[in-house]
Amino acid sequence: MLILGIETATERVSVSIGGHEGVIGLFEVTKGRRHAETLVPAIDFVCKQAGIELAEISVVAVDVGPGLFTGMRVGLSAAKAIAQALSVPMIGISSLDLLAFPCRHTERVVVPVIDARKGEVFYAMYRQVPGGIQQVAEPAVGPVEDLVADLMARSQDVLVVGDGAVRYREEILEGFHCEMGGDAHPSAGQLVQLAHARALREEWVQPRDIEPVYLRAPDAKINWATRAART
Amino acid sequence: MSESIAHPEFDESTLVLGIETSCDETAAALVMGGYDVVSSVVSTQVEIHAEFGGVVPEVASRAHLEVLNPVIARSIVEAGIEDSRIDAIACTVGPGLVGALLVGVSAAKSLALVYDVPFIGVNHMEAHLYAASLEDPTLEFPLVVLLVSGGHTMLVEMQDHGRYRLLGQTIDDAAGEAFDKVARFLDLGYPGGPAIDEAALLGDPEAIRFPRALIDGSYNFSFSGLKTSVMNYVRKHPDVSSADVAASFQAAVVDVLVTKARAAAKEVGATSIVLGGGVAANSLLREEILDGCVKDGIQGFLPSRAMCTDNAAMIAAAGWHRLRSDGPTPLDVGATPNLRLPFLNV
Ligand SMILES: [Zn+2]
Repeated sequence: MLILGIETATERVSVSIGGHEGVIGLFEVTKGRRHAETLVPAIDFVCKQAGIELAEISVVAVDVGPGLFTGMRVGLSAAKAIAQALSVPMIGISSLDLLAFPCRHTERVVVPVIDARKGEVFYAMYRQVPGGIQQVAEPAVGPVEDLVADLMARSQDVLVVGDGAVRYREEILEGFHCEMGGDAHPSAGQLVQLAHARALREEWVQPRDIEPVYLRAPDAKINWATRAART
Repeated sequence: MSESIAHPEFDESTLVLGIETSCDETAAALVMGGYDVVSSVVSTQVEIHAEFGGVVPEVASRAHLEVLNPVIARSIVEAGIEDSRIDAIACTVGPGLVGALLVGVSAAKSLALVYDVPFIGVNHMEAHLYAASLEDPTLEFPLVVLLVSGGHTMLVEMQDHGRYRLLGQTIDDAAGEAFDKVARFLDLGYPGGPAIDEAALLGDPEAIRFPRALIDGSYNFSFSGLKTSVMNYVRKHPDVSSADVAASFQAAVVDVLVTKARAAAKEVGATSIVLGGGVAANSLLREEILDGCVKDGIQGFLPSRAMCTDNAAMIAAAGWHRLRSDGPTPLDVGATPNLRLPFLNV
């Protein structure tokens, strides 16, 4: 079983192909916000790298967020189109799960934090369980002060990871003593590994049932200026 | 002058899947050989945006992502073909709302990769110019196209495939935008075009003489002053009938559009005036353009409402012409929110 993994929820564009033999192809670039330009050529590249045809893919895995809306949707739209065209099922995995998963060997509470722009962050809390990690606090979005207050309320040994942790390092450490480390961005390599475990249990869905995780209501401002640009 | 065809391998049998997500319509269509519409599916978000009184970009992007797959699937089912029969994928890359465009572009490029067929990035405005030829392939150049919608108002001379001259465009609001804003001000509902059109049926178009911004000597348009004078008039005369205001406002807009289109057609020696864009569904505009063309001895061509508003058949058609003249678009293109038409004169 070969899984195509697509990850575009943060500034990184990451594509991977893997299966029971692990990751057999991986492309990653973490610069600028050119998800739409980069993604499809990256998928083509990873297929060639892995020496497979897209038609050999039997599951498409995708990061469903939370993350940067436009970037997320580039990945989701591509993943859904590919799954539909190949008539294969999909597995959607949270960006926060993906950041926490590589830290599954620590005793600490793992807190992935993703930059949500506008002074806010997406975050959740996880701890180690036999064979993996388990979420202990629901994903939330809010200002960094909310995150610090939540950390203080727990007052446990904490490991904070993610690009939100990098951006707001000072603010977080000022309010709460914790470890910082791990990955700044989710990776399609982790995505494929996590998806493989779920695929073995046939925990997949059809493309129409993939639900993006926005956590934030749309900004309901009508952009007359953008519309005017269409003239 | 004739169409330059550098890629004759794409011909009458080439089946193009068109995809459109630039604003508030999610659409997919299959068009054979640039003219034969095999299927065309449009899912509109008009009701979703009605509560805001205009298109909300983030709301639009979310809705596109939700419905694009089913819309594409339906266009293939309605065509009664196997998806392996698709020869090329065309998609709007601009102009439009960037987040909305990217949903379509990302899906379209992915499909091109899976099916191993050419991808064609299409200019939405160019596609509007092709909409009329889908319903009447015998239209002869040069044409004058009056493109009026919520996002655009322009007068274009189409000399040949891919050869356009910009005659004029709005210097402030688009015509459809003026309709939306005035309808909202009069509490007539959203979208403003149909709301004003309907209200105007019961009003007197000569009740109020609103100014016509003709901007002498130019084919440019301006609707912002008209909108302001409507608002000032209603504030000064709170008891005025909305129907009279709607009818008089509509008459002023249509008067300007038709006067300029006819003058332009005369100047360039056009065989026809073609309407395009959502506002082209306006009943007074359709009537006046036809009347004017009869007087001038030229043809007035009014595409069906479905072909005037955003759809993917026009994207597939424009894509087919571009594929033949320019070949495929590389897969590393993104979206260009303010993409311009390749006018000869700019
Ligand atoms: Zn349009």
